[in-house]
Amino acid sequence: MSHMSLMLKAAAAAVVLMIAPQVAQAQSSSGITSEQAMAALRAVQAYAKNDGSDPSLAVIDRDGNTVLLLAGNNAAPHNLGLAQRKAFTANQFKMKSIEWRDRTKPGTPQASERETPNAIPLGGGVPIMVGNEVIGAVGVSGTKGGQEGDTAGAQAGADAAAALVKRLQAQN
Amino acid sequence: MQKLITGLAVGVVAIFVGSAGFALVQQMTKQFTLQSLGGNDISVEQALLVAQGAVDACKKDNSVITVAVVDHVGGVRFIVRGDGASPEMVDNARRKAYTARTFRQATSAWMERTAMDAKDEKGKLIDLYGQRLLENTIAQKGGMPIIWHNDAIGGVGVAGSKGGEEADEACAKAGVDAIADQLF
Repeated sequence: MSHMSLMLKAAAAAVVLMIAPQVAQAQSSSGITSEQAMAALRAVQAYAKNDGSDPSLAVIDRDGNTVLLLAGNNAAPHNLGLAQRKAFTANQFKMKSIEWRDRTKPGTPQASERETPNAIPLGGGVPIMVGNEVIGAVGVSGTKGGQEGDTAGAQAGADAAAALVKRLQAQN
Repeated sequence: MQKLITGLAVGVVAIFVGSAGFALVQQMTKQFTLQSLGGNDISVEQALLVAQGAVDACKKDNSVITVAVVDHVGGVRFIVRGDGASPEMVDNARRKAYTARTFRQATSAWMERTAMDAKDEKGKLIDLYGQRLLENTIAQKGGMPIIWHNDAIGGVGVAGSKGGEEADEACAKAGVDAIADQLF
């Protein structure tokens, strides 16, 4: 009997060992890579070139951790921090920060969501979407078009990053 | 009487010309002063080249590094996290860059100077350990200043290379070297 249970334990251990690396792989591939973040940066810069602006931007992963930060050459001191908070907001609430701003207008039942630490009710944060999944976000601050312009710039960045993620998924 | 009027007129004109000239000189000096304050800062374009240089140097042993470039006041200009790096690497690299920028030297050299038992060439205790207690500094190798005209216009910090802090510093140096042609 004890022989039997020992065999069972060994079999269970083998199964766990086989599963463990796969789980680890699945988790690491869900992060935003530096290549994807750089693609977002290039797209935001291309948008800014058309716009004649010099924005700051942040790319964060789904855990809210920083992947990339860039402060524009003539950025005001607040721009980078704002970009980070916009990205945080888009990732946290899984929508553009401009939509979240409108959803949490003063007087609405959702207004108190604005108390969330680090969130900010300003446009310029856009989630990086792969299908229906949010895998991170891009935040932009300092374009010429105000909150709408920042949103458009961040959208270009998020699309560029998502395109690389989709390409990677297609390869695998 | 006529002489007095002429004299007064000449005096008034002289005052006008004089004050106008003074204002002009003042204006020119002002512009000169403002101009000389601008420009001594690392640009986005330079920061990206520095980071790329560091990443490329560290690729030789397949290291995946996190790089931070700070500007002339120690603020973040650019940071990119290495794939799979732990989240705190970002702040680690930033603090290396900040330390190199603010003390205008490689963090390795700063560590030697600020060690508890560091002595000068005459054998006297330097006792700069207190600098290590400043916010945002870090006593780790891997930070290099970006020097232009004897002034630090920025700093670069590298964290997470396979060769440890020595390799971090070599990669940071390679990053600065990537824009050596612009640093005279």
